[in-house]
Amino acid sequence: MIQSAKKSGGARPGAGRKKGSSIYGETTKAIRVPESIIPELKTLLETRKKLAQQVPDLFSTLLFPANHPSSIKLPLFTGKVAAGFPSPADDYIEKTLDLNDLLIQKPAATFFVRAEGESMLDAGIHPNDILVVDRSIEPIPGKIVICALNGELTVKRLTNTDGKITLAAENPAYSDITIHEDIDMVIWGVVTSVIHAV
Amino acid sequence: MPFNSCFALVDCNNFYVSCERVFRPDLWDKPVAVLSNNDGCIISRSGEVKKLGIKMAVPVHQIEHLIKKHNIQLFSSNYALYADLSMRVMSVLEEFTPRLEVYSIDEAFLDLTGIAEQNPTAYGQQIRKSIWRNTGLPVCVGIGPTKTLAKLANFAAKKWQKTEGVVDLTSPSHRNKLMHRVPVNEVWGIGSQTTKKLNRLGITSAWDLAHQPVDFIRSQFSVVIARTVRELNGSACLSLEEVAPDKQQIICSRSFRNRITTRPVLAEALTDFCSRAAEKLRAQKSVTDSIGITIKTNPFNLNEPQYQRSANLKLNHATQDTRKIVSTAKYLLNQIFKTGYRYHHCAVQLSHIKAETAPRQIDIFDISANAENINSRRLMNTMDQINLRFPNSTALASRGFDKRWQFKVEKRSPHYTSCWTELVSAKM
Repeated sequence: MIQSAKKSGGARPGAGRKKGSSIYGETTKAIRVPESIIPELKTLLETRKKLAQQVPDLFSTLLFPANHPSSIKLPLFTGKVAAGFPSPADDYIEKTLDLNDLLIQKPAATFFVRAEGESMLDAGIHPNDILVVDRSIEPIPGKIVICALNGELTVKRLTNTDGKITLAAENPAYSDITIHEDIDMVIWGVVTSVIHAV
Repeated sequence: MPFNSCFALVDCNNFYVSCERVFRPDLWDKPVAVLSNNDGCIISRSGEVKKLGIKMAVPVHQIEHLIKKHNIQLFSSNYALYADLSMRVMSVLEEFTPRLEVYSIDEAFLDLTGIAEQNPTAYGQQIRKSIWRNTGLPVCVGIGPTKTLAKLANFAAKKWQKTEGVVDLTSPSHRNKLMHRVPVNEVWGIGSQTTKKLNRLGITSAWDLAHQPVDFIRSQFSVVIARTVRELNGSACLSLEEVAPDKQQIICSRSFRNRITTRPVLAEALTDFCSRAAEKLRAQKSVTDSIGITIKTNPFNLNEPQYQRSANLKLNHATQDTRKIVSTAKYLLNQIFKTGYRYHHCAVQLSHIKAETAPRQIDIFDISANAENINSRRLMNTMDQINLRFPNSTALASRGFDKRWQFKVEKRSPHYTSCWTELVSAKM
């Protein structure tokens, strides 16, 4: 190490405040804190200061409660607490079934549509049933689709016979609609389930 | 390697009108417009309506003749539907980036840095197709190295059809070409006052603004506008705000369908507005200690005597309790209400909003306030949870039951996505 020729400047041993001599009875440190909690911290420090002055040994044994305790969600167990024989089902945490899991793959693209009419009876769609419609599914031949047909939402089965796209009815009393240039048809979504009250 | 950021702004075209059209294929090629609260003004227009020269925010009564002549389909605003479709759009966008800023009900910024650089336009088209496919809503996508340029690109994508809804301004030459054609008031953050001043200085296009020295703009305008200049030149100054900041002020204001002449009825309306405002306050986990109300007659009806008053009260301790807010509002109403006028509009305003966890002064003259506080939070919490599961099922009785003061929604479309009895039907 190179010794400086100058006597002044730099750290001098023994200078400054003694370690642990602050009003709190221990070393202090400067920190940055959010402005909003300054009043709380001040109150806290005030308390520590008083305690440090009153009973110098007590403050280190005190615990201060957290201002925002965190919470943890615990699974719910259903077995009753009884003094006798424990239930064998206690090991199984209860889980309820959600119909959404069964009926909806993609919530952002799923809509419910009310069916009207009888042309799809053989496909199991009755008047007033609720159709679960997923817009994100590729409308390939064979799927039951909702289409906008000449400005009206319509339910039919999409079929492809000899290269001709047809909207097929599932009821012999109704005729199929073959798509040609003069028909204004846009596929709106694919029906994935039928909700039918019995 | 230089670090290049890449942002996209995705914006739904004529959002409210497009939402109405999703369930009405018969209106896909017809002129359609959506009306403001109380069915007063036009707030969303289809392309056909814009072509007729009908401007934004025009009062309906001024264009009755055009509505009849062109058979324009009008809808009252159906916010339940718009909010639902908005959430669907945002959820589809989340598939395209991990960093998303929901900027408004129909716009979002996407941080595409490191995702779309290879071919931004193709990525933009993919976004457009996916939103159309999933939700049935048309959108435009603007892409650029800064948020301001992404916004500018979006403006271009909307304005010029041959862009096919996607404009990419990552290359400086594209930027220069476009900025010559865009007036300066279309630049994000340039308001009408700033535009006037810029025009006086001979700055009329976006290109003119981009080529001003930053120091000059800072000295003549503000550091905000100077930042816009840098953003127009491709250096990103604004970052993505993924978490929306809490509101500093909550206002609930409405005009009435029928004029109100008596204090009890006005108090009922006020109670309802207070309940809504308090619900919003609790939803963002805040408290308020400043409550204000405004009541006024219809300023457009010059044949009637006019009256308008506001009043404000600062509370000793901040609250989020509907009951406290309502009683304060009613106290204020007693101070300013005058008989003999036909009231048309009223508003509740909560300000000085702070986080509910922020330290508060304890009233040493009223120590019971603390215990009350805990009970009140419990009660309000329970009420909010019930109302979440069964909308509008619990309310203060003082809100009244017949809602004579309710605002006009005569042409509202069904709640297609939020009510089992109002689903869209399909013929078989």
